[in-house]
Amino acid sequence: MSSAISVRRLTKDFQIGIRGLKLRAVDNLSLEIPRGQVYGLLGPNGCGKSTTLKVVLGLVTATAGEISILGHPSATAEARSRTGFLPEAPYFHKFLSGRELVTYCARLSGVLPSDLTTAVEDALGLAAMTDAADRPIGTYSKGMLQRIGFAQAIVHDPELVILDEPTAGVDPVGSAAIGRMIHAMRDKGKTVVLCSHLLGQVEQVCDRVAIMDRGKLVLEGRVEDVLARRDRHVMTIEAMTPAAREAAEAALAAHGAQVTSVTHPRRSLEDLFRELVTGSRDA
Amino acid sequence: MTPSLQRTLWISRVTFLEAVRQRFFAFLMVLGAAMVLSSVSFRVFDFGHGELKFIADFGFGGMFLFGSVLSVVMTAQLFFSEIDNKTALTLLAKPLSRSEFLIGKFFGAWAVLGVFVVVLSGLLGGVMWAREQELVAMAEQAGKVPVTFSASGMFQFALLQWLRLGVVITIVLTVSALARTFLFTVVVGSLAVVAGQLQWIAQDAVLKPTGSALYGAFLWLSTRLLPNLQQFNIGDALVLGATGVPGEAVVEVALSGLAYMVAYLFIGTLVFRRREI
Repeated sequence: MSSAISVRRLTKDFQIGIRGLKLRAVDNLSLEIPRGQVYGLLGPNGCGKSTTLKVVLGLVTATAGEISILGHPSATAEARSRTGFLPEAPYFHKFLSGRELVTYCARLSGVLPSDLTTAVEDALGLAAMTDAADRPIGTYSKGMLQRIGFAQAIVHDPELVILDEPTAGVDPVGSAAIGRMIHAMRDKGKTVVLCSHLLGQVEQVCDRVAIMDRGKLVLEGRVEDVLARRDRHVMTIEAMTPAAREAAEAALAAHGAQVTSVTHPRRSLEDLFRELVTGSRDA
Repeated sequence: MTPSLQRTLWISRVTFLEAVRQRFFAFLMVLGAAMVLSSVSFRVFDFGHGELKFIADFGFGGMFLFGSVLSVVMTAQLFFSEIDNKTALTLLAKPLSRSEFLIGKFFGAWAVLGVFVVVLSGLLGGVMWAREQELVAMAEQAGKVPVTFSASGMFQFALLQWLRLGVVITIVLTVSALARTFLFTVVVGSLAVVAGQLQWIAQDAVLKPTGSALYGAFLWLSTRLLPNLQQFNIGDALVLGATGVPGEAVVEVALSGLAYMVAYLFIGTLVFRRREI
């Protein structure tokens, strides 16, 4: 089965000014995002992650490289009909109600009239927006805007959902609600690609992460793997063999210490991020 | 109805709703209506051309002026609000092509101008009909032949005005697809309207022999690239009915307007396809 998103040797240059100076936003990026997982795309501002998403969605053309979504070339109607997208800081027509917006997006996404009511109500329900669905969007709070944005992104039951900073400016309660929606999508077998600066949340909800810096990929892998520090160990003494335990206890007791567990210690995703991004920049 | 047409109509529908909720539209509509209605009060300044002609010219002028402003500013605003607020990102990430988006914007804006033209034409027609009744009675008493008002002529005139404003909308959308800012679009769009009004000068010049091939080519290109917006100014002949306009001429003008609309929309979609959002 093909990947949810396959990016091969993607490069994107922007021309600046009339002299045509090039700014390389994405530099030879290759990514394989597997299906059915929550994938975090991380990086500091200007690292190229939003540009990458725009290229994936066909909103910006690539300078070089190949991209496919669910086995189809990106930017085709077939690929986009199976993709949902919530942009960063979404803005919607204020005069529409939440239900009207989701209906509008459902029709643009190809939902049939016979399925429209069910699709709209399901999306509103998953986004916990049913109660406020008939209010004009102009009266919504920031968190409600994000949730109605989430509803419009999933109303056509896409296989792939791309969320760009879904919790930016949202309070912890709203942020937790969005986290639950992401989990719900994963439980339904969907692939979710998440761009975020909230590293704690990414660590909680993502199965895999990729970290970008200056347009390049600096790390990619399962969250468990990239956070584990294999050069150190935490020992759980009860699981050791008697001989080893005795030897360890004896050695430690000589220093007045007591062993309680042996396991792989973890560092936080935030520490890893800072080490990779800020460290390289300082150098 | 094909899925593509459905998507285009949904874009048009939301564009129309957004436009009619704007205060700018209401303001220009009220201003235009006030100008048409006030024409009766100013009829004493008819400069000897007859009251009905003065009322008609006053109304046509208001419709053209405010309609043009609305076509340029509102269309540019409707386009750039989608780009600047990033709603275009949300929409174009869906299986919606850029040509469907742009054509949907066009039909939405054109529908708004349709409402504008219908309301002002209806008001102007009402004013002219009422005054015609009075003038006919006065002329009969004086034994003169009165100038009459043609309702069907007013309908044809309204249709031609709607087409003219449609041409302006397509020009503005083409410029929008290329431009980076709202202001640039409004300035270039306004200049295009002025150039379209003066295009007949180039048409006259191109018929005269010229010594410079470059100048001749420039004139020829000007007459092809820019529509002659003056050709839609046949309101007097249509509405006052004294001279009348052959049906073929009206059809020719209408077809010319439609051809420019299609051409500009085609160019606009080609340009917009390459735009990075």
